[in-house]
Amino acid sequence: MRFPKLRRVTLYILLIFFAFLFLLPLWTLITTSLKTDEDVIYTTPVEPPLSPTTEPLITAFNLMKRSLLNSFTFTIAAMILSCLLGSINGYILTKIRFRGSNMVFLFFTIGIFIPYQAVLVPLVLTISKLGLYNNIGGLILTHTAYGIPITTLLFRNFYALIPDSVIMAAKTDGAGTWTIYRRIVLPLSLLPFVVAAIFQFTSIWNDFLFGVALARGPGARPASVELANLRGTTAVTWNLLMAGTLWYALPVLVIYFALAKYLMRGYMAGAVKG
Amino acid sequence: MAVKDLNLKINDGEFFVFLGPSGCGKTTTLLCIAGLLKPDKGEVWLGNELVTSAERDIQVPPQKREVAMMFQDYAIYPHMTVLKNIAFPLEVRGEDKSEIAKRVNATANLLGISQLLDRKPRQLSGGQRQRVALGRAIVRKPKVFLLDEPLANLDAKLRVKTRTELKKLQQELGVTTVYVTHDQVEAMTMADKIMVQRDGVAEQIGTPEELYSHPANLFVAGFIGSPEMNFTDCTIIEEGKRLWLDAKEFKIPVPAEVVSKLKSYVGEEVIMGIRPEDLYETKSVEGATLKNAFRMIVDVIEPVGPYLLLHLRKGLLSLVARVKHTRARVGQEVSIGMDRNKIHIFDKKTTKAII
Repeated sequence: MRFPKLRRVTLYILLIFFAFLFLLPLWTLITTSLKTDEDVIYTTPVEPPLSPTTEPLITAFNLMKRSLLNSFTFTIAAMILSCLLGSINGYILTKIRFRGSNMVFLFFTIGIFIPYQAVLVPLVLTISKLGLYNNIGGLILTHTAYGIPITTLLFRNFYALIPDSVIMAAKTDGAGTWTIYRRIVLPLSLLPFVVAAIFQFTSIWNDFLFGVALARGPGARPASVELANLRGTTAVTWNLLMAGTLWYALPVLVIYFALAKYLMRGYMAGAVKG
Repeated sequence: MAVKDLNLKINDGEFFVFLGPSGCGKTTTLLCIAGLLKPDKGEVWLGNELVTSAERDIQVPPQKREVAMMFQDYAIYPHMTVLKNIAFPLEVRGEDKSEIAKRVNATANLLGISQLLDRKPRQLSGGQRQRVALGRAIVRKPKVFLLDEPLANLDAKLRVKTRTELKKLQQELGVTTVYVTHDQVEAMTMADKIMVQRDGVAEQIGTPEELYSHPANLFVAGFIGSPEMNFTDCTIIEEGKRLWLDAKEFKIPVPAEVVSKLKSYVGEEVIMGIRPEDLYETKSVEGATLKNAFRMIVDVIEPVGPYLLLHLRKGLLSLVARVKHTRARVGQEVSIGMDRNKIHIFDKKTTKAII
């Protein structure tokens, strides 16, 4: 009996060690954002502040509030649109199969593997031609389009679990394609919607590349780009930068903790049939 | 190809059963009637309306057809209450609210599920779900019911009870019903007419009585009836101006009325079939002649309840006889007779029935 106990203790020590390692950056993020300019110089990043202050947090918030609002606007809009379109695609591809629907799905999945860098120049040109450069609309359009492949895949896998007989029953009951979507498929989609929404929110919110390429101006600039500007031009103000980072990371953390339960269930639903 | 060259007419108000082993194309046929599948060739008429024609490129969508379908897994909408499930076909058709309420209540009363209307499907037992699915099908008063193995997922006792109820319901409503099953007892007990299907081909269409007494071929003969019909190879021989069936272990004269049909088979091998209930133990049947009787050894005795099954053996021949009672013991030799008028003869090559 001694041996398994020893193993358990070792396991816990290892786990605590890795958790500590993993959370260390978060810890320094919080401590540094509460430090005065002097404290940043006199203490190491890991040490707690000597005279804690919320000043960097307030300053950073004032500097970032416009861009945070921008980010919220296009993230939520693109998240909703890409989830809705992904859901409709998934429904059509699994339940209303048409000639060549597998081919279409293949093209969607190819979309997942195209690196963003590869399309950057044509993207910027296209968005400028559409008059959406430096515009929230341009970001909404881009993020929606690039979200569709992954949301389509996710919804398609989920809808494959809905028995075809349910759809056939609705058809003979007198429902057309859209009525079936609205009244049967959509109400059954809470789980994939939560999963896709978390996924989309996180990846759109965290995006830097599209933001910096499409919206440098203050009117539409995302928080991720603004954060990079907080570094300053001459010396890095670490406390301000960390405070900004904290504000920037907060929404994703909140959403993740609030909906983690659904996220796990959603992943499982895709993994195990029935 | 799941179904080929099927030509079928179902009369108004008929209870029509598609019977066959799984994968024989019966569900495919059903889906074609419903409009959920489009055949590569051929036409479907509902009454006087042409609803499917591959040649003329007509395919009326299922929602425009006056057919209601019930699925083997019931396909109840999991997020809706029983009430909403039954009301769904009426709601999507835009019926007005008071009419919907009236008809849903009437349907629920008819099926005895009024007390379940507020429940969600996951709170229901298998039998209750089956009723909800049935309610959803009958609430809109369709011209045709299509039922795809509606009893397959119920336990044995409930299945028998529901079978009777379903038959009664169909008679009351008088709606033309197409019923798919692989269970021959269901088919025999419920159907006005049965189509036996195999590998997409209609083997025989007829009343249960016709299929049982006059199976058109070896497959139908073997598929219908439980326990199965006994089959044995025989040679037709002519001896003393009479035709005989020679099965090596026994030899019986061909009944006079069918001699003409078998004349051309003299010297050839055919397959003889006899149902277990048409075999008897001469000892326990009063006035039975011992003429043409033959002796066999009792291998197994299966008491079923209302009757017994005697598994008999002699050489390579084995037969099952269904008898009311017996004094025989396992291993004993008994004298077996058969009702010669109930003999079926099948052509060995074509497997078609000769008599």
